[in-house]
Amino acid sequence: MNIEILSSVFAQLFTLEVIVALLIGVVGGMVVGALPGLSATMAVALLLPLTFSMGTIAGLVMLTGLYTSAMYGGSISAILLHTPGTPSSAATALDGYEMTKQGRGLEAIGISTISSMIGGVFSALVLLFLAPPLSLVSLKFSEPEYFLIAIFGLTIISSLASDSVVKGLLSGVFGLLIGLIGTDILTGFPRFTFGISELESGISLVPAMIGLFSISQVLSQMEAIRDAKRNQINKVDGKVLPSWTSLKKIGPTITLSSVIGLFVGMLPGAGGDIGSWVGYNEAKKLSKNPEKFGKGCIEGVAAPEAANNAVTGGALIPLLVLGIPGSAVTAVLLGGLMIQGLVPGRDLFTVHATTTYSVIVGLIFANLLMGIIGLLAAKHIVKVTNISFSILIPVIIVFSLVGSYAINNSMFDVYVMVFFGVVGYLMKKTGFHPAPVVLAIILGPLAEGGLRRAMVMAKGDFLLYLFQRPISVVLIIMILLSILSPIILNYRKKKKEEEVAL
Amino acid sequence: MFKKMLSGFIMLALILVLAVGCGSEETSNESTDSAAKSETYPNKPINLIIAYSAGGNTDIAARILVPYVEEELGVPINVINKPGGGGWTGWTELLNAEKDGYTIGYINTPNLMTGYLNPEFNRDNSLNDFEPIANHVMDYGIIAVKADDERFNNIDELIEYAKENEVTATTTGYAGDDHISQLRINQTAGTNFVAVHQAGSNEMLASVLGGHVDVLFDNVGGAKTAYENGEIKILAVLAPERSEFIPDVPTLEESGYPDIYSFSARGIAFPAGVDAEKVSIVKEAFVKALENEEQVKKIEDLGYKVYPVNGEEYRTFLEEDEASIIGIKDVLGW
Repeated sequence: MNIEILSSVFAQLFTLEVIVALLIGVVGGMVVGALPGLSATMAVALLLPLTFSMGTIAGLVMLTGLYTSAMYGGSISAILLHTPGTPSSAATALDGYEMTKQGRGLEAIGISTISSMIGGVFSALVLLFLAPPLSLVSLKFSEPEYFLIAIFGLTIISSLASDSVVKGLLSGVFGLLIGLIGTDILTGFPRFTFGISELESGISLVPAMIGLFSISQVLSQMEAIRDAKRNQINKVDGKVLPSWTSLKKIGPTITLSSVIGLFVGMLPGAGGDIGSWVGYNEAKKLSKNPEKFGKGCIEGVAAPEAANNAVTGGALIPLLVLGIPGSAVTAVLLGGLMIQGLVPGRDLFTVHATTTYSVIVGLIFANLLMGIIGLLAAKHIVKVTNISFSILIPVIIVFSLVGSYAINNSMFDVYVMVFFGVVGYLMKKTGFHPAPVVLAIILGPLAEGGLRRAMVMAKGDFLLYLFQRPISVVLIIMILLSILSPIILNYRKKKKEEEVAL
Repeated sequence: MFKKMLSGFIMLALILVLAVGCGSEETSNESTDSAAKSETYPNKPINLIIAYSAGGNTDIAARILVPYVEEELGVPINVINKPGGGGWTGWTELLNAEKDGYTIGYINTPNLMTGYLNPEFNRDNSLNDFEPIANHVMDYGIIAVKADDERFNNIDELIEYAKENEVTATTTGYAGDDHISQLRINQTAGTNFVAVHQAGSNEMLASVLGGHVDVLFDNVGGAKTAYENGEIKILAVLAPERSEFIPDVPTLEESGYPDIYSFSARGIAFPAGVDAEKVSIVKEAFVKALENEEQVKKIEDLGYKVYPVNGEEYRTFLEEDEASIIGIKDVLGW
């Protein structure tokens, strides 16, 4: 990219049409993201025909802005209401809502906004400068690696459980079983459907997640109100802008999560829902105080939020260079590009360079704008937590019901949501945590599909095939480390204590 | 202050809901009045069920066509996505809808047929449950390899190699068009194509470009871009004649393997039992919209062929497709 292109890029971007489109995209994305059941994919698909009549750059900037800001928007409802607006912000709810309960909701929104903005800007910058070489890296990942990434993600389950490891593992297995429901990918056989045709495509993630996270929470709160317990949530206090010490604390987390998100985004089979969990997982493992996670720790908010926004730029890399979308939203964007006459490939970076770079620079602006709007609006948004539960609970229930219906226009999904709401509530009462279930529903199908396809690809000895693939070997080592390191650390800690005792 | 705002907001929302409720009641009264005189059909919005998710191939093509049909019919068409069950969640919904002419749907081959022919699913549906209106898009199958794959420079080399060796090949799913054509080639040519069933066209292309799967079985629409960018070599088109989008690629038939055609066709249908007069009104609107040059150009820019057969001709087309699937039932193990 040279100066000449740069100046024409800025000339293209600073027109009234583009700025208005950017604003609509960013604000629209935040709203769509925050409401459970309204997904970025849906919003982009609905707005796509509208962009045909707009200028190419304005249209595409609006859609990419909407994409990144919906990723961030999901965290607002996850933090304040324990109702993740998108599956990508499920991990954020763990620590974010704890912070809200402690009266630190404003701080949590601030952390989430800053992390999302940095993650998004980072990935857009990488997209700007390194897209062609990185797209080749994304091709090196295939089914065996997807299987191993899923297993790697599942290793976090042991540490997600609140009371005991056994309960965590049990919840994880329950989630994996839920993920088995539906038509078998390799044989077309309907598994565990009990003759119900709606189950042939499996349990939808969004309604199950809304049930497990928000409805279970609402039920617990109703119980608390009945028992006339004091309001669990403290008054909102604090500042939206994180202090310098907390910024220093989350700096490394944001950096690592941004890189993780970028790479997960680049993979065609994995998106923000997986990226955010892997980011959370790594932040927890590398933290000096992993026991603070799940109890309102700022790294626990920063990690998934930086990761899921970094997914956006990553997902655009294989899309623009190879025409292979890295996520569901970018698959819709592909249609948008083609209709504008922009065929993905080298031409985008040579013949159409001005347009392409304008869209990428527009994505950077979208992330910055999202950050600014988020920080300015945070003070007003957190007032939601001051509303009495007797008003809030019905509103959450209505949004959960409508959202579950809207995602696939299906009444069956509403029943699924209610069912998982009750399951989640009972789990909480008995000391189980619903998070491993959600994690396993997300990762189970990825692990199963990856393993079974990889076994076909191997054409013979599967283990030998894995060991011939360098990335697989690295992932296997990471999995082993992640399982064994707590055991080794524990052993050394005990030994030290014994030495001290002696 | 905030509470006041919130209660105000809720009030407003309730008023809106009531207003909308009253509104729809009015229109429904109107429609019962005018139902008697069917010449005014259609007089309220028509629902169009798409059995795949928003932003998918079917959805995008449908959303391009819909405005032209709306213009002809003079009423809005609501696109409703009902994904799931390989398409059958939406098609069940379409079949269960009222036969008042206000619900239509996209039907996709071969998934429509395999969904009721596969005995595992216990469905007692058939083509007779649908009233085909018109086909919209037709996308033929292709066989391709990575551009720098030195082993295969033409379809003969690939087939000869596959007779001796196991060759992995992509599909969009079990008993989908790609899988069926692999099974048919295995049956007629004695090749050993092994299916790697993936979630969609994008994963398929990525796994072939990365060198993880040997052969890409895809459709012209999905492979055109990668071909034009020089990333893949398309060895054959599974069509009776060459594709206008990739005219230099030979058909499989030219290479000596006749009668193995593969395509996915997407068209519009009513559930059976809708008044014949209404069917012909809607059919006429679709036929006009399908001929609209602007629409044809938009669809072809995406790499799809507009294939506008309608009415009885469309029904025959679907029946022939069904027959060809029944013909390979034993290969599928049904």
